[in-house]
Amino acid sequence: MNNDIIINIEDVAKTYQMGAETVHALRSVSLQIRKNEYIAIMGPSGSGKSTMMNIVGCLDTPTKGTYLFENENVATMNDNELADIRNRKIGFVFQTFNLLARASTLKNVELPLVYAGVKKDERQQRAFAALESVGLQDRTHHKPNELSGGQRQRVAIARALVTKPSIILADEPTGNLDSKTGVEIMRLFGELWKNGNTVILVTHEEDIARHAHRIVRIRDGMIESDTINPSPAEV
Amino acid sequence: MNIFESVILAIDAVRSHKLRSSLTLFSIAIGIFAIIGSGTAVTSLNETVSKQMAEMGEGVFVLQKFPPVMSNDMWKKLRGRKDINFQQAKLFQQKMIENAEAVGIENSTGGIKVKYGNLSTDQNVSVAGGDDAYFITTNIMIEYGRPLNSEDVSMNRRVVVIGDDLVKKLFPVGSPLGKIITIKKQNFTVIGTIKRRGSVLGQSLDNRVIIPITVFMKYIADEWDVSVAISVKALSLDKVDETMDEAIGIMRGIRGDQPWMESSFAYYTNNTLSEQFEGFTKYVGFFGIGAGIVALVVAGVGIMNIMLVTVKERTREIGVRKALGAKRRWILQQFIIEAITLCQLGGGIGIILGLMGGVFLSLILGTVVAVPLHWIGISIGVCTFLGVFFGAYPAWKASKLDPIEALRYE
Ligand SMILES: Nc1ncnc2c1ncn2[C@@H]1O[C@H](COP(=O)(O)OP(=O)(O)OP(=O)(O)O)[C@@H](O)[C@H]1O
Ligand SMILES: [Mg+2]
Repeated sequence: MNNDIIINIEDVAKTYQMGAETVHALRSVSLQIRKNEYIAIMGPSGSGKSTMMNIVGCLDTPTKGTYLFENENVATMNDNELADIRNRKIGFVFQTFNLLARASTLKNVELPLVYAGVKKDERQQRAFAALESVGLQDRTHHKPNELSGGQRQRVAIARALVTKPSIILADEPTGNLDSKTGVEIMRLFGELWKNGNTVILVTHEEDIARHAHRIVRIRDGMIESDTINPSPAEV
Repeated sequence: MNIFESVILAIDAVRSHKLRSSLTLFSIAIGIFAIIGSGTAVTSLNETVSKQMAEMGEGVFVLQKFPPVMSNDMWKKLRGRKDINFQQAKLFQQKMIENAEAVGIENSTGGIKVKYGNLSTDQNVSVAGGDDAYFITTNIMIEYGRPLNSEDVSMNRRVVVIGDDLVKKLFPVGSPLGKIITIKKQNFTVIGTIKRRGSVLGQSLDNRVIIPITVFMKYIADEWDVSVAISVKALSLDKVDETMDEAIGIMRGIRGDQPWMESSFAYYTNNTLSEQFEGFTKYVGFFGIGAGIVALVVAGVGIMNIMLVTVKERTREIGVRKALGAKRRWILQQFIIEAITLCQLGGGIGIILGLMGGVFLSLILGTVVAVPLHWIGISIGVCTFLGVFFGAYPAWKASKLDPIEALRYE
């Protein structure tokens, strides 16, 4: 029965040491996520949403507790194995985009494919297709600082989708978008979910969270509520 | 990964830190320059000398009072030696002649002014006294006229064979043959001219005249240097050692050297000369390479510094790359390629400077210009090694960065 639980977090905590002060970004979180779930994570600023996403995305390791990714304990994996999971299984949309400032839009989107060992021609084709899906086909040669905040966010989304990962982790993916573009992006996530992928997104907009099938609320590093959305909105 | 991209990034890094980069590139260039330059110089010198040695004729050895190169200690030990005088040389020649192809007797002096009519050379002509055999043992070729013969020597004829520099200087028009020139107030009739020989280490081999040794000893020789040199050409190349043993025996007899004593004269072949010369050029080479290595180590530390700064500045970029799935070796590779690119940039400048320096030196010394192609290969190899060696630590540091910490770096 455990089989389709792909993300299994047990009593996970994350603390940061800031000089003499210990910051409890996550106090104790337990969460099971099955394949092909569509989850929204909500909570006030500073409640630990990004910290949890980083742990789920195999970017950060918990200070306490266990995390099984596809039934494998992440704590036992080395740097390269984690890099491999990030590259092949997870598409991460960062809250702060994290684009390479010196590289063009197309190069930015190609980057995960470079590390996946995809040949140049195919790489460019797929990167272009991903940019097309977020409506940026005419911005391929712009640098990030030549794009608006919303456009950068869409580049970050295209980059997360380009490897066709089975799990999408998006931290405030619509934070900088007008409602029309926001709806476009939500349509994209809806399609990904329909195609059998797992979608986890952080948002503070109830309007966005409506699309998810399950809503997890976090406060002060703890899960406050974890509820099923009886009637998810279709786009 | 994309090597081309790493190269572009490296050039970018050079451009954004102009002063520090140019200092580092400069010291790599200096290091490579020193290595290539001394390589070029050594190769050129050696090639020139061996060419010269070959011209002087093979299978020849020389007996004279002192060795051609002496240390201070040796000089103190040998300064009391008696001259090899003309009579001893003559006697040696008579006893040796059957067992050798030629036995020449020679003495020479330099810094002489030669005049013809109202034309005159500078006070730098070298005047040699020789005999007919001397032309054979030293492989001197005649262009016009004839060489000295045995009668010129035995009859003390006032005749002279002149080098090409004197032909040009004293006889710009018309043939020198039969003309009278003046050397140290003595008149000599020109009977031949020497085929042009070129120069060694900037010294012309054509600024010389040869007169009969008998006349030379009487009128020209410096009173403090009347010891003659004897050059012997063996009958064949494989008989050189045998002939030399024989010659040493005969000379010891003539000089009255007792069996328990060392020979009271020196002997050497062209080979020993060129070996000595190569020993000298080896020092030049070692010195250049040593200086080069010091400069390269300094440069290497500079490269490491640039790379550390680059890694620091691009911490976020490294974080992004790692977050997107770059394994440690990708990051390592990227920064090592950047370090190698930096080194090759400096090395390229050094190669160009080194070749120019080598050519320049060859021109000054008047030697053959020998471009040591294999040195270019070596310096490319050295630069690659430098890049890997000094880029390794910064690249390793970059590859060890924690992705989340790197992404949060301001
Ligand atoms: N690397 C770190 N070092 C120190 N403190 C940190 C670090 N990362 C996060 N924190 C702290 O942990 C807490 C949770 O941060 P987190 O980024 O997870 O919040 P969030 O829920 O994503 O907030 P927001 O909605 O503003 O993005 C905050 O108080 C933050 O200051
Ligand atoms: Mg956040």
